[in-house]
Amino acid sequence: MWNLLLKALGETLYMVGASLVLSALFGIPLGLVLVITEPRHIKPAPVIHKILSTIINIGRSLPFIILLVAIIPFTRLVVGTSIGTAGAIVPLTVSAITFVARVVESALLEIDRGVIEAAQAIGATTGQIITKVLIPEAVPGLILGLTMVAVNLIGYSAMAGAVGGGGLGDLSIRYGYQRFRGDVMLLTVVVLVAIVQGLQSFGSWLAARLNRR
Amino acid sequence: MPQVMIELANVTKIYGQGEKRVVALDNVSLQINKGEIFGIIGLSGAGKSTLIRCINKLEVPQSGTITIAGQEITKLKGKELRKTRRKIGMIFQHFNLLSSRTVYGNIAFPLEIAGVKRSEIKERVLSLIDLVGLSDKISAYPAELSGGQKQRVGIARALANNPEVLLCDEATSALDPETTKSILGLLQDVNQRFNLTIVLITHQMNVIKDICDTVAVIEDGRIVEQGPVVDLFARPRTPTARRFMKSVLPTEIPAEIKERALIMDDQNCAGKTVRISFIGDVAGEPVISSLIRKFQVDVNIIYANLDYIKNTPFGSLIIDLMGESQKIEAAMEFLEDQGLKLEVLNSVEPTA
Repeated sequence: MWNLLLKALGETLYMVGASLVLSALFGIPLGLVLVITEPRHIKPAPVIHKILSTIINIGRSLPFIILLVAIIPFTRLVVGTSIGTAGAIVPLTVSAITFVARVVESALLEIDRGVIEAAQAIGATTGQIITKVLIPEAVPGLILGLTMVAVNLIGYSAMAGAVGGGGLGDLSIRYGYQRFRGDVMLLTVVVLVAIVQGLQSFGSWLAARLNRR
Repeated sequence: MPQVMIELANVTKIYGQGEKRVVALDNVSLQINKGEIFGIIGLSGAGKSTLIRCINKLEVPQSGTITIAGQEITKLKGKELRKTRRKIGMIFQHFNLLSSRTVYGNIAFPLEIAGVKRSEIKERVLSLIDLVGLSDKISAYPAELSGGQKQRVGIARALANNPEVLLCDEATSALDPETTKSILGLLQDVNQRFNLTIVLITHQMNVIKDICDTVAVIEDGRIVEQGPVVDLFARPRTPTARRFMKSVLPTEIPAEIKERALIMDDQNCAGKTVRISFIGDVAGEPVISSLIRKFQVDVNIIYANLDYIKNTPFGSLIIDLMGESQKIEAAMEFLEDQGLKLEVLNSVEPTA
């Protein structure tokens, strides 16, 4: 039983870790573009803004289990397979990208317009405003937001069992539920709760530490 | 002839369209000389904030031109605009400091933007921190500073790239009177030290009175009055200007003084309550004692006030003059000959 649990834990951490990093890699720039193209922001572009916003809303409106199967052809194209842990990372990432984009948007909109205006008055370029003002000022908000994304990804990864991705959720369904192993069920729940608690505490602590406001 | 630093010609800025259309600036023209402190005063919504934002093109006017040191900023774009903005410092009502950077980091920010070398940045930042008197707060974050200290950081940041112009957007409106005074002192100090042209907008008349050389009164997007501050105080032409003046100088005469009966001992005597106002050097002369000696009138001082408009003394005095009618007339003529402005508030004619 402990072997099963360790293996499942490893799979969960791998899926969540990989998709978190990948979704941040794509989602943060997406969120940035979404914000700066807003009507009164530093690079207003209403058409681009509207298109991005619509795409993000579509992504956000699909339940994960639907997205998982709906994008199977895309998953196959990217990683060569639609099953297993690798096959689960693609849909997890796709679903988290739009979530990250909204998280970035809300963190960046928290920044006082006056601070951005001050940077413009100083003669900063759009790139300088992004790297020296928007991102550093939004760090605490971004950390809290990404913590939320990670917790969500843990939840979504439980559904990865549907494509043979493994992980803690899969373990509790297959052993705990289908084989009536109450002990396995209980143990996976305890481990999941512990991971989420630990993650959230760490995220909150880090955000508070870096918050100078 | 003073050198013109900033020139606005027929600047018009309109927000919105149709029913929501608001004319924020209506054909505004101004000339601001090099090295002067130019104040723009107006109530909220008068357009002063839009006006100052047009000067560094944070707002783009629909028509008109703005020229700074011979360069037409309204025509500039991209790189040229950013380069010109570095020569125009700006401070704000709410300071707008980067909360994630220390005092040092905030002052270094414009230098990083301009691509100054790290070693030079350090030297420059340290001298600026010293200039604004925050050497003990170098590693503090904005959240740990008081309002006055934050504005000092704002000023140091605005001066980092050795600007020729400093724009102050309601820079003291969020500060208490004591702190306002110290920030105004600092602005006056940098104005003199670097021959820096300062443009400030405010709704506080005391800011104009304390440090400005020239003032423009803005109302509904139009400049309704402009000229040297001393002239505005001596001869306000518009109701708006008078209203602002009243907020710093007590020009209202108490009803008690206006209406009370002057007590005359002698039936042949007249009495007048007169307000004497003066601007400038006359304040130093012993007019009252000359008055008593030369004209044998009785003088009773009811009210006196002396204030300064930047460095010019400005005051008013309310006195009762009592004595024979002719002597009172002669005394008043004498006062007017001294360059004083007289206003009779109340008078009792001889009964005989």
